Amino acid sequence: MRGRWSAAGLVVVLAAIAAAASLGLVAVRGHQQPASRPQQVQQIASGLHCPICKDLSVADSPAPLAQQMRQQIDQQLAAGRSPDEIRAGFVAAYGDSVLMSPPRHGIGRTAYYLPLIVVLGGALVVVLLLRRWRRPSAVDESEPDGRAPLTSAQRQALRRAVERLREEEA
Amino acid sequence: MRRRLLLLGTVVVAVLAVVAVLATGLGRDPSATASPLVGRAAPDFTLGGINGPPVTLSRLRGQVVVMNFWASWCTECHDEQDALDQTWQRYRDSGLVLLGVDFEDTGDGAKDYMHQSGLTYPVVEDKDSTTALAYGIRGIPETFLIDRSGRIVDRIIGRVDADRLAGAVEPLLKGGSE
Amino acid sequence: MAFLGTYGLMLGLVLSVGGAVIAAAGARTDRPALVETARRIAFAVLATMVVVDGAMLAALLSNDFTLRYVADNSSRETPVFFKVLSLWAADDGSLLFWNLILAGYVAAVAIRFRRYRPPTFPYALSVLFGVQALYLLLVNGPARPFGTLAQAAADGRGPAPLLQNHPLMAVHPPFLYLGFIGFTVPFAFGVAALLAGTGSDAWVSIIRRWTLLVWCFLTVGLVLGALWSYSVLGWGGYWAWDPVENVALLPWLVATAFLHSIMLQERRGMARLWNIALVIGAFALTTFGTFLTRGSVLSSVHAFAQSAVGPAYLAFLGLVLLGGFGLVAWRLPMLRTPARLESTVSREAAIVGNNMLLLAATAIILLGTVLPLVVEALTGDQITVGGPYFQSALAPVFLLVLVLAGTAPLLPWRAVNRERAVRRLRLPVLAAALVIVGSSLAGLRDLYAVAGFGAATLVLVGNGQEIVSGLAVGRRHSGVLRTLTRGRRRYAGLTVHIGLALLAIGITASTNLAEQTQVTLRTGESTVFADRTLTYAGLETDQQAQRTVLTARVDVSGSGPLTPRMNLYPAATEPIGSPSIHRGVLRDLYASVISLQDDGNSATFRFYRNPGITWLWIGGAVMALGGAAAAWPARRRRAEEATVAAERRRQFSGAGVV
Repeated sequence: MRGRWSAAGLVVVLAAIAAAASLGLVAVRGHQQPASRPQQVQQIASGLHCPICKDLSVADSPAPLAQQMRQQIDQQLAAGRSPDEIRAGFVAAYGDSVLMSPPRHGIGRTAYYLPLIVVLGGALVVVLLLRRWRRPSAVDESEPDGRAPLTSAQRQALRRAVERLREEEA
Repeated sequence: MRRRLLLLGTVVVAVLAVVAVLATGLGRDPSATASPLVGRAAPDFTLGGINGPPVTLSRLRGQVVVMNFWASWCTECHDEQDALDQTWQRYRDSGLVLLGVDFEDTGDGAKDYMHQSGLTYPVVEDKDSTTALAYGIRGIPETFLIDRSGRIVDRIIGRVDADRLAGAVEPLLKGGSE
Repeated sequence: MAFLGTYGLMLGLVLSVGGAVIAAAGARTDRPALVETARRIAFAVLATMVVVDGAMLAALLSNDFTLRYVADNSSRETPVFFKVLSLWAADDGSLLFWNLILAGYVAAVAIRFRRYRPPTFPYALSVLFGVQALYLLLVNGPARPFGTLAQAAADGRGPAPLLQNHPLMAVHPPFLYLGFIGFTVPFAFGVAALLAGTGSDAWVSIIRRWTLLVWCFLTVGLVLGALWSYSVLGWGGYWAWDPVENVALLPWLVATAFLHSIMLQERRGMARLWNIALVIGAFALTTFGTFLTRGSVLSSVHAFAQSAVGPAYLAFLGLVLLGGFGLVAWRLPMLRTPARLESTVSREAAIVGNNMLLLAATAIILLGTVLPLVVEALTGDQITVGGPYFQSALAPVFLLVLVLAGTAPLLPWRAVNRERAVRRLRLPVLAAALVIVGSSLAGLRDLYAVAGFGAATLVLVGNGQEIVSGLAVGRRHSGVLRTLTRGRRRYAGLTVHIGLALLAIGITASTNLAEQTQVTLRTGESTVFADRTLTYAGLETDQQAQRTVLTARVDVSGSGPLTPRMNLYPAATEPIGSPSIHRGVLRDLYASVISLQDDGNSATFRFYRNPGITWLWIGGAVMALGGAAAAWPARRRRAEEATVAAERRRQFSGAGVV
């Protein structure tokens, strides 16, 4: 029994380690930098909001103006301008709202703190709750009507039986 | 009981705060987006004319320029045609240039329309929308007011009104040149 | 028609207000006769709304251009099919449709509880009538769907071109409405439980079942909405994180959280306060959604919407929040439940984690959606919070949700038997690890793609294993069918998780592995994309009554041609494109025409290779079916009407036979 336990446990642990290692490797290796010009254009365009569309990026939008913006990005790249300079050019004409994501300065920065605050706050609440619920409550485990308390072996057998029922019924 | 009331009070305050924030959204016009260009030097361009010679914006320095982005397929642009013509006729001798910039249009479409409507002010063609993009166009019609020093003073989204345009243009004309 | 509609709406309003008052009086004075009267009024309201919507439909079909709505949204040339759709395609009409569906829900509640009347029923009925009255108030004043023109128009303007471009428009809005409006019912029973002040948890199973039903509708609505976006809009994607899409997702997430946390209450008597807050929250979010999308706050498409509608929605939202959460605060002592946790590695703890993650996702989407509004109100700056932001903020949260969905169903309630837990986790973890290692070795370079595939595998194998092993055990004892019916809720839940895994695979594959290209081809010219040779065969023109259709034929090597179209509508200045899609098990080949030049002798196309999209639709369907299986009424009505405690006793004794 004990041997099988560890074999199964070992498999799970090893598998988890292998998975984590692969994920780590992928994370370290990082994103492929766009190699070709069309890919670069695509990358810059996907970060710009198509000004005449409701919610599509310049990369996604089929609108003629978006197409012309892609052309302009291509021309500017050809002229040796950096992606940041190109973005700045569009921001100068349209304002920050031409960027698909809020700017990382000024009040736009709050957008990037919010998810962190939400998740960390949620995690904190969960931890506190679970800790409070874990505290042993004043439930009296002794039998109320004077019958002899179960022996530990009986209690264990009962618990196993109940657990099995639960699982089947669940 | 006091704790309950306190809690209730908190709920009321929180809800009112949420409603107040959302109410600010009601007051705004979703199509009115501020232009970062207002107050700055107008981006320069040279564009080929449809009904005249090519136009270079910087050459118009010293005059007040009313720049109207439009297209022959845009019905709202047709509606504001009279207002623009009136403004042009009224102020063309006092140092005002009205310049139409044809946006995403076929050259023939624009020509036909201009012929039919009897439009008289100069119109240039923005073939690959470079100028429209430099001016942050989100739709047409959009009209820019440029003062004698070449600075953008105002942008009007949508149809212009002759009286309001006159009201905006006159102080600029009086401002004299630099 | 205008007469019938206008007075029908007034009658409906009077009836609803009357129903609300009578039901409330019946509840307060405990007089069954009053409750019965109120119950019958529900059918009268429904009948009135059928007549009103019928009047609008008749006006649309008979080209009654004296009505402003008909003149604005239909025309003589509009095909009958799209005339019918015009009933809900624009603001005012959709409000009529909204009222019809709401009346339908109220009547459904009235039928469901015709004999069995839980103590919450009269209160719930009163709340339902109240909500109906508020929505009817909206169409009686601020919005006037039956407003007439001083002079009848000769012809209408026709529906917005985008809305008459594809028949899918016929199905996804009704499902979204069914989902959205349906949250009124759980909300009404939740508020009713608070008003009635019953200490018992009898309302729990009522709310759970209605929420499940509504959840199914909303799931279908969301997936069909994505399918519409994908099949019609032509940009190769299906979800743009548009505010309209976001606000539909919000109540879905909260309802999903509720459907999990309700188990805590049923099983362990925990989380009563939390559950009721979730139900109220879900409804408040639907109200918020209507405010945001119809109150002319965000979308400029609705710029013509009457300014009075926005404040009315906002007032309603304030009322819902104040009433709902105010009641919760007031009844707090009643809602406090003892909570005890034997182990932090247990089903209970996993459900708490699930709720935290789903609500975190809700909060992130909600904040991201309103942030532009808040920032502009505070500073005057304008910012965009778009797809890339939501994707990067939500990806980790949703990954953790998947990990929980893959492992939590394997964990027992209360305390874990480590040995058994590890044994059950072995296969799913191994499979997930294989996929992760394999896909990273295969050269997948995006962290979220690798992790997403791994997590989806965990969910698929974990839940699949539970179904298979459960049925295998059951077969030996009582037969597969009996095991299935008796453990219906559990198997339904596992099925929903499997659907989620398929959905996740589809989303991960299509977001991370899609390719696209834009090419301009002359007639006869070809290009190679996604291992296929694509040849532009030429343009065909089809003159239809209400539009001109230009079809660009692209021959594809090894399969039939792609036929993306451009539709020219007289009302639209720019052509509306229609993509053409070769759907496949592994990948879709998707084509859009961007522009035509030179009288159609040259065309610019966008081609997309979208892997895994099909699994998104399949996964969504599986989720909805699983949800429906869980919501389906039990054969024995009485058993379901018994209190939860009794149901548990019954199940225990049933299981005891083994």
